[in-house]
Amino acid sequence: MSRPPAKDEEEAKKQASALEPRSSLDQSATAGGASGAVNLNFEDLVAEFYLSLYRFALSLSRSEVDASDLTQQTFFAWASKGHQLREASKVKTWLFTTLYREFLATKRHDAHFVGMEDDPPFIEPPQLSPSIVDAVDAAIVQKALHGLAERYRAPVSLFYMRQFSYREIAAILDIPIGTVMSRVSRGKAELRRRLGEIAAETARKVVQPNRGKRDG
Amino acid sequence: MDDAEVRAVLRAYRAGEPWEDTRFPEATRRAGADPYLARWWAHEQELDRIIGATLQSPQAPPDLKERLLSRQGHKTLRRVQRTRLITLAIAAMVALAAFFGSWNGPFQPAASLADYRGEMVSFVKVEPTVEMRSTQLSHVMEWLRKSGAVSQFEIPQELQKLTPIGSRTLRFRGHDVALICFRRSEGNWVHLFVIDRAALPRFSGGPRPQFSSEGSWTAATWLADDQVYLLALEGDRELLERFLTAA
Repeated sequence: MSRPPAKDEEEAKKQASALEPRSSLDQSATAGGASGAVNLNFEDLVAEFYLSLYRFALSLSRSEVDASDLTQQTFFAWASKGHQLREASKVKTWLFTTLYREFLATKRHDAHFVGMEDDPPFIEPPQLSPSIVDAVDAAIVQKALHGLAERYRAPVSLFYMRQFSYREIAAILDIPIGTVMSRVSRGKAELRRRLGEIAAETARKVVQPNRGKRDG
Repeated sequence: MDDAEVRAVLRAYRAGEPWEDTRFPEATRRAGADPYLARWWAHEQELDRIIGATLQSPQAPPDLKERLLSRQGHKTLRRVQRTRLITLAIAAMVALAAFFGSWNGPFQPAASLADYRGEMVSFVKVEPTVEMRSTQLSHVMEWLRKSGAVSQFEIPQELQKLTPIGSRTLRFRGHDVALICFRRSEGNWVHLFVIDRAALPRFSGGPRPQFSSEGSWTAATWLADDQVYLLALEGDRELLERFLTAA
């Protein structure tokens, strides 16, 4: 197994610790993880995870209502089955796995199964210009993300959440780790291509009315 | 490794992540030595930072937390979702009751053929979800190749005459399993699993199929090119043998 250069690791750890304070539930899990069934306070659990679960749901479902539904279903599942979990350290992964499965089940039910199309040929995305990068905002990123095929959307979304290792993402999505990496790589490339298209389209819409006024 | 592959490898890079991809050191070396790649990678990382930050910005509806804490989640589920939950619960109970004696759970170290067969067959007894859907066998095989699962194997000739439905990968004791589902002429499915022989160290079979049945299901297993094949369908041995002429 190879590892990235130590300098990069150090930098990444600094960034990670600055951006993501360690979950208090993770800390408690370290202390009592092996003592049998998990007994976590429901309110603590909601406070700790509802926002990140909602954001993940939003990246999957494209609708705030559906994202709220998925988040609620996830905590409902926890209330019903969470006691079966034996390791508190796996609570977060359990919640995200459950949400993802709920999403897949809902999608199957709503669409009577949406078949996954075969991969189109890979096209290297052009590098985004600085002006487009400057124009990128949450709405554009969400729109581009929602345009990705589902098999790319979930791994890319979890990649950017920076809360899970590749191994954990593989467990959540129930796919091999190598598949996660390849989907992240390809999904990110596709995301960039879509970002470029959407940002350019948005810029055109902003420019055109002004030009119309001048012309008129 | 050409430039395109270097970029593909680096796109999946995350600092601090234990790396299992042996191509990474070469990719970083290339990015360090080539100014064009170095600029490209710096740009990618900056864009990653921006995208990551924007994806962390959406706020949940103001009353969501309150609703969750009041445990009203189940009351707001749509009717179809409630129905689905009940259906899934019943299906899970039936499946558990039916297979309780043969399923040893995913974390058991022993990996006998019976364990493997039991887990795989129980998985497809309820119509499985496929990760990719295609009626072209070549597309299915290409998808398996890209997914990193077992993909170099021979499909029995009679099976090749059926229309594929799709494929997915599974995990068994840390090993990838390739699953291809085919539609039989009468509409039912037949499932082909392929796993590396190393996953089943106690497997003693050879190229001649071994048959076993479980309830209304029949399975055949055989070894070819260091890979263990498992073909399963709902039906009897005679029906299953029709698809094994080239096994």
